Amino acid sequence: MIQPVYISAASAISPQHSFGTDAPLQPVMSSDNGKLYVQDADYSQFINPVAIRRMSRMLKIGISTGMDCLRQSGIEKPDGIITGTGRGSMRDMEIFLGDMLRLKEEALNPTYFIQSTYNSINGWLALQTKCTGYNQTYVHRGHSLEMALLDAQLLLNETTDKQHYLVGSFDEMTDEYFGVKSKIGYWKQPTPHSLHLYKHSDTPGSIGGEGSAFFMVTNEKENALFSIAAMQMLQDYTPAEVDATIARILEENKILLRDVDVILCGMSGDSRFDGIYKPLFNNTTVHTTVCAFKHLCGEYDTSTGFAMWLATQAFKTQQVPEAIIQKKGINPSVKTVLIVNHYILNSASVMLLRANS
Amino acid sequence: MAERIVVTSLGILSALGNGIAANLQALQQQRPGLRYPQLLQTIHAGEFLLGEVPYSNDELSAMLGLPTGNNGYTRTTLLAMVAMQEVLKGIDKKELQDEGFAFINANTVGGMCSVEDMYEDFLSDNTAENALKYIDTLDCAESTQNVTKHFGLKPFTATISTACSSSGNAIILGARLIQHGIIKRAICGGCDALSRFTLNGFHSLKNVDKQPARPFDNTRFGLNLGEGAGYVLLETEKSAKERGAEIIAVLSGYANTNDAYHPTAPNPNGDGAYNTMQLALQKAQLQTTDINYINAHGTATTANDAAEGKAIERLFNGHTPHFSSTKPYTGHTLAAAGVIEAIFSIGALQQQMIWPSLNHTTQMEEVSITPTTQLIEDAGINHVLSNSFGFGGNNVSLIFSRA
Repeated sequence: MIQPVYISAASAISPQHSFGTDAPLQPVMSSDNGKLYVQDADYSQFINPVAIRRMSRMLKIGISTGMDCLRQSGIEKPDGIITGTGRGSMRDMEIFLGDMLRLKEEALNPTYFIQSTYNSINGWLALQTKCTGYNQTYVHRGHSLEMALLDAQLLLNETTDKQHYLVGSFDEMTDEYFGVKSKIGYWKQPTPHSLHLYKHSDTPGSIGGEGSAFFMVTNEKENALFSIAAMQMLQDYTPAEVDATIARILEENKILLRDVDVILCGMSGDSRFDGIYKPLFNNTTVHTTVCAFKHLCGEYDTSTGFAMWLATQAFKTQQVPEAIIQKKGINPSVKTVLIVNHYILNSASVMLLRANS
Repeated sequence: MAERIVVTSLGILSALGNGIAANLQALQQQRPGLRYPQLLQTIHAGEFLLGEVPYSNDELSAMLGLPTGNNGYTRTTLLAMVAMQEVLKGIDKKELQDEGFAFINANTVGGMCSVEDMYEDFLSDNTAENALKYIDTLDCAESTQNVTKHFGLKPFTATISTACSSSGNAIILGARLIQHGIIKRAICGGCDALSRFTLNGFHSLKNVDKQPARPFDNTRFGLNLGEGAGYVLLETEKSAKERGAEIIAVLSGYANTNDAYHPTAPNPNGDGAYNTMQLALQKAQLQTTDINYINAHGTATTANDAAEGKAIERLFNGHTPHFSSTKPYTGHTLAAAGVIEAIFSIGALQQQMIWPSLNHTTQMEEVSITPTTQLIEDAGINHVLSNSFGFGGNNVSLIFSRA
């Protein structure tokens, strides 16, 4: 039986005020052009000053999020580093590809090529922390972060030592990416204001987003914020399968639906994928607070990271920010959180988080 | 103690040909598969020897019973499907599905091979209908999902990208998922197709050789790129015996570490490589003297071979077994390299042969060890170590043992 794992620190750079702030989500950031880009941070605090000059935006975002998570956890050198990303450093890839086509394969700058490799952020985090332990990068679309978390869970179940793995995700949106994906129905037309995303859930498409989130995952219960009690990934699912998965997870953990204090729904305003969320609104009682988050971070492969960061805040403050609430419940505290998410390429995931008691 | 993980089926497609038999025969005959590219459309076609798989996309599609032309599948996926077809030969797909299995794939540039030819069209105001089919093929998981769909399978899936060690990591993950009882069997490996993107990427780093690559040779300059796909079926010894499957080899040890040294260059002392090989030996509960052959990463870049050579010399301390790099045969197949070389290591165990390094003329200055340059038969091999080291400092060592 695989034992649950604990989260002792979380950090996120997102389209919202989520990084290095005492007032998360204040004020709520929004956009009306269908794109939500991250709020830039002072990356120079986290990255070697010589190296940072050549780094692309994605690298700065990902490395800074990872380093901040380490700082918060008080761990200088983790036992390993595991990341998940659907897109890697998209802009580096676009620049190298664009230059290659424009310059007819001559005189290319290798920096963009190196930075475009999906494992480059992992490599940098290892280098900056001198972590020679386990190092892994999952590139599995909507399950990239979930796979990274599962891997950490397996590793922590393979040892009797107290260990700490830095696990995180990063995905970048670019104008080019947005333009290309618009041709195959990724984005809602006409473009909605981000805060009104769910008012148009009868039509296909969503809004573009991006972000990075890192977590310290450990088998050390003391000082942890919460545990990942269960996690399930589904591919080419039906809404009924997601529903059954949630029911099974609750049953296995001996939790009634009314005892779930908060549900974070990954609905994206896209009529094609809304089916898995409707039962959550219909079946929950007055007890549970049902929330949504993609109007704040947009749609991207590893948006589960943003949801987990929101859950971390809720566990810490025992409050749920108004900006995410869709249906307010009466449970007085935040002890149990369910994250249900999907990504446009037919993947879904369910995660049960429990406060450390 | 954890149950032994065994290999019970193989599939491979490389510049040496389609299938395990063709590949091992080429190694035995010391016949490299490199050529000036005939399929990859690059201005460097007359300049660089590449390990190009000798089948066009239409030929690959025909092997799979797919329509030819722009059928929506990238070359990356087609290569993967052909190798997968071989792994699945003789396997009861229903049993595989019903008892729970994973498909762990590895990839470095997804469908770049197709996307780079269509990208300007993607960006234009009226993208052609044929190109639209390829917009969602750039990412690495596209091949993973399409392979499973093509064969009508619905496994647990994952995709890994750790540069040149990617499919080594896929094998490790598969073994661990089995040991945790999450799945009963795992098909693990990787695929990468040649693309102008990667060729120009490595060329811009000035580590592509215009001559045939010379691993562990003092005159080495760089690598030759290649393409291919390979997969192995892993399960427990018990599961293999239950279904009466032939046990081809035992995966007896593995390790994953990071150099934590430099974004692209290995630690020049080979500390990362040393650490990885040592941990794999520990995992296998073997001594250095138990290893009879090392299938080295051996890219023939100046930095890799010096670091890896020093690590081997230091770890094996006067008792270095036969070692060689098979990259001059296939080219460096990136995400597929780990599994292709794992399959060559398993082939060495099966055939009791040491595959010779090619193009070696001059002793390396940095070390006093020398790769094996002649085919050795009846080699008395019980344990083979296979190394894969990548950009980002991502290192993997695997140990395969006689069944």
